[in-house]
Amino acid sequence: MESSRDQNIIHYLIDLADNLVEDFDVVELLTGLTHRCVDMLGISAAGVMLASPPGELRLVATSSEAMQLVELFELQAHEGPCLDAFHTGKPVEHEILRHGSGRWPRFSIVALEAGFQSVFALPLRLRETTIGALNLFSMGESPMAEADIVVAGGFADLATISVIQYGAALEAQRVNEQLSQAITSRIVIEQAKGVISERAQIDLSEAFSRLRNYGRRHSTRLADVAQNAIDGTLDPEAWAAPPTPDA
Amino acid sequence: MSGDRRARVIAAVEAKSGGEWSPARLCEVTPDIVGVTGAGAMLMSGDLSQGSLCTTNSVTNVIDDLQFTLGEGPCIDAYHQDKVVLEPDLAHPATARWFAFTPKALEAGIRAIFGFPLREGAARLGALHLYQDKPGYLSDDQHADALLMAEVIARQVINAQAGASPGRMAEDLEATADFHSIVHNAAGIVSVQLGVSVTDALVRLRAYAFSENRLVRDVAEDIVNKRLRLS
Repeated sequence: MESSRDQNIIHYLIDLADNLVEDFDVVELLTGLTHRCVDMLGISAAGVMLASPPGELRLVATSSEAMQLVELFELQAHEGPCLDAFHTGKPVEHEILRHGSGRWPRFSIVALEAGFQSVFALPLRLRETTIGALNLFSMGESPMAEADIVVAGGFADLATISVIQYGAALEAQRVNEQLSQAITSRIVIEQAKGVISERAQIDLSEAFSRLRNYGRRHSTRLADVAQNAIDGTLDPEAWAAPPTPDA
Repeated sequence: MSGDRRARVIAAVEAKSGGEWSPARLCEVTPDIVGVTGAGAMLMSGDLSQGSLCTTNSVTNVIDDLQFTLGEGPCIDAYHQDKVVLEPDLAHPATARWFAFTPKALEAGIRAIFGFPLREGAARLGALHLYQDKPGYLSDDQHADALLMAEVIARQVINAQAGASPGRMAEDLEATADFHSIVHNAAGIVSVQLGVSVTDALVRLRAYAFSENRLVRDVAEDIVNKRLRLS
């Protein structure tokens, strides 16, 4: 039994590591994490919260409906183990819940009502960056085995790295697209200068002035005026000689 | 081992760049660090070279220009195939390719040329080209250092652009980049003269430059200065 559990743990770690190199869905990853924790770590339910946008925690995954209700309440009440783990960046050690008292008076009432007797939470943290937290709930009062806590930490670390890397990769792509767009806009403006300079038989810098002034007069972005110029949809007024000297 | 290499290269860059980490400066110190004659970086998007991020001498200018004119070359391949492209002996290439690029590159004094994709994660920016004025492979060390420089340059481009105002190019990048403006000016002019789209005008410019054995930039200058009119 033990060796097959070890095999399951190893397989799951390999699966998690795959997310570092393949495309994945963040919610799917984290939901899978909660189920694996329940399957392998001797706990009853698990939940994951992520801070997105940074600073604002949201519930992203849970292993059961009951867990979901309790976690949503934790967020609403601004009180509970997940929040503490996130804000401190440190694990919240095993805590037996006491109705209406203890560390989380209101949270404990709702959690006990759902059948949970004790909790344990880990931050999802990579060095100085904490992106969320993992809640591990139990229907009994006994703490998790030390070995299980270590494994939970391993799962949490890999999940954290995957989510962070995914976010960074998305960000780099977004910035790259912005860069391409900005360059394309510049190129379109240069092309428009050529078009206008030929239509009006003026030099490039005068062509640029007329495009820019037209944009200002009509509150239109220069990039759009330029695009119209090369599409051939620009009002000829744009390149006509100004009636009076430009101010 | 890779941690040592990274530390060594970073320290060398810091020393040679005088602490300035703009992509252009990084490009400038690359030949020294890797031990090649010259280097340049091209920004690409879709099919086209959008422009040159930087060049280190007149020859790398030519490499950039040729690839922009001809639409073929080591950077183009490195970018499209998303892998390192190595040609250690341009005069006697093992792989027959770049039929238009090669003779002109040899004319410019290039004997070996290498293209490294510029990427940050899944974002593909373009390619870094390195050349030698004599034939030969890059050593394993040179190859690894070049990979590292490509990585560092790409990251700096993303970092620089991340700080730009929306819709604008980062100042750091704009200052040293060359978007072949004059070629686009000429394309605009030709599009009106011939009654064709700007895209078609660019194709005609390139075709003309190729048939006349000239760089498209030079043809563009003639058109803008009314010394030449395409028909």
